[in-house]
Amino acid sequence: MKTPSRFLLCALGAGSALLSGCATSAGVQNPSGVPVVEMRPDERGAVAGTGVESTDLVTVTDKMARSILGIPQIARAAAKPVIVIDPVVNDTRFPINKDLFTDRIRIALNRNAIDRVTFLARDRMKALERERALKQAGQVTASSDPQVVEFRGADYFLTGKLGGLTTRTSQGTSDYILYSFQLIDARTSEIVWEDSHEIKKQGLEDAAYR
Amino acid sequence: MNRRRILSLSLVAATFLAGCESLPDEPRAGVRSAATATAADRREPVVPERDRVLVDYRLGVSALRAGRFDEAKAKFDDAIARIGGIITNDAEAERARGLFSAERVKTFIGEPYERVMAYYYRGILYWRDGERDNARACFRSGQVIDSDPRPGHENYAADYVLLDYLEGLASAKLLADGSDAIARAQAHNAGKIPLPPLNPAANVLIFAEYGYGPRKFAGGQYGEQLRFHVDDSPTRSARLVLDGGRKIVPLPVYDDLGFQATTRGGRVMDHILGNKAQFKATANAAADVALAGAVVASDQARRRDRRGKDNDDAAVAAVGLGILGVIGKAAAAATQTVADTREWNNLPQRLSFAALVLPPGEHEGKIEFIDREGNALAQRTQRITFSVAAEERDTVVFLSELKP
Repeated sequence: MKTPSRFLLCALGAGSALLSGCATSAGVQNPSGVPVVEMRPDERGAVAGTGVESTDLVTVTDKMARSILGIPQIARAAAKPVIVIDPVVNDTRFPINKDLFTDRIRIALNRNAIDRVTFLARDRMKALERERALKQAGQVTASSDPQVVEFRGADYFLTGKLGGLTTRTSQGTSDYILYSFQLIDARTSEIVWEDSHEIKKQGLEDAAYR
Repeated sequence: MNRRRILSLSLVAATFLAGCESLPDEPRAGVRSAATATAADRREPVVPERDRVLVDYRLGVSALRAGRFDEAKAKFDDAIARIGGIITNDAEAERARGLFSAERVKTFIGEPYERVMAYYYRGILYWRDGERDNARACFRSGQVIDSDPRPGHENYAADYVLLDYLEGLASAKLLADGSDAIARAQAHNAGKIPLPPLNPAANVLIFAEYGYGPRKFAGGQYGEQLRFHVDDSPTRSARLVLDGGRKIVPLPVYDDLGFQATTRGGRVMDHILGNKAQFKATANAAADVALAGAVVASDQARRRDRRGKDNDDAAVAAVGLGILGVIGKAAAAATQTVADTREWNNLPQRLSFAALVLPPGEHEGKIEFIDREGNALAQRTQRITFSVAAEERDTVVFLSELKP
């Protein structure tokens, strides 16, 4: 073997050794993470989901508004039913603006069935009572007798609940959320309507955050 | 002769570049643009986007301690909007995993104990606003963040006492069943000072914190290991003194962030940084071998030249090895192995809680911080006043030994 070949072999060896450790993510599964995907609730996923987003809000509230309009108590009511919306209860692990759900259902119902239901602004009662007190005291004008109680009572309560289930494995995080809504007869406490929507999501974050 | 000069130059360059290892830069200030100029006009500090969550954390807890609750909510909401999602296909994260970028180029979301605290503080603020269910959601998220699904890591995962206890208390106040959460809290708290009995009728919630939180530093030969240092605070406990000393409420330690930071276990990123460090070491060693080979080949070429023999191959090999050595040294120097030590630097070390039943109206008192021997640290005592509302909403009192 000639001298230059030995040196060239050494050079090649050194080069190979130099380049051998270039893979920093070696041994790390899914280094870039796995994007969040939406799944059918009945679909078995390797991992479980993530939080409440605007698309969920739109989907759920549209479905609930359509569903309510179809029930006999609303569709065939002799007089327009009066509904009070009670804030939803969040039983998930995601802090949310709960008013968005009830606001959007109310808006959808008012938009599509303004002549079929009436909503009461119970969340504004303090301001309304203050205004009535001013009228009763004669401090502001009144278009009717302020001593007569005209605040209306509710025929139904519309309320809801968000329940959640979280799973975390080495494959990622998964969240299942059940959005359930009820219409309750204020006189009898009967649940006259109930509907729900389920969403399950899962994902795995980038290895840089694991 | 020309070849000898080339060889000499190669070796000099190799020696020169071998010392080029550099530490990662501090986060750069954002580029001055129309938008940043506006911020500068308002004298707001320009924060790199990747450090936004870090700044939110620090300012959020400062605002909470100073009683600027709306500001605190805004900061924690901003942070949670980022840390609450699942980050995938992120260019900065990909760079952070690369050989030649430091970990700190990634968007900061913090280690689990930092993310947990963002949710903990936001939960307190939700409770203060009467949103017990959203507060409960925050405490649950905190515990999920602290969970570690890897085999062998279960012992120290999701083991915050207060997060489970507060979830149970919130559930009880919402007329739901919080017994599972309370049982978990008691299991985490086994062997420590007993938790206060669950009392859904309690209308005043005292959240207290004391001591200085864990600090991060980069350990290992190349700074590739993220480590934590905890300065044990002289404050070991606290007590709330109300009604002129007639009512004394103990505020013992239920959670210790130093313990949480150091027991959470390794990260996947540690594995990546370990690979980077291994590459750096290998590249350095290979470059040393190549440079040594270049010297030997150069010497061989010189001898053959003196003997009047053909030295072309030896000289070529010397140049080749020299170049490889230079490349190796440069690659080793450019490899960024140092762990990300950006930290939420105004966290407390210890967390405590008490739930009281107090009549509506103004209440005065003081919080005393207590040392290892049970003596009150007089200089740290704080006078407090708070008002208990008659309404159904709970009164939330947040007390911190740390300055805003």
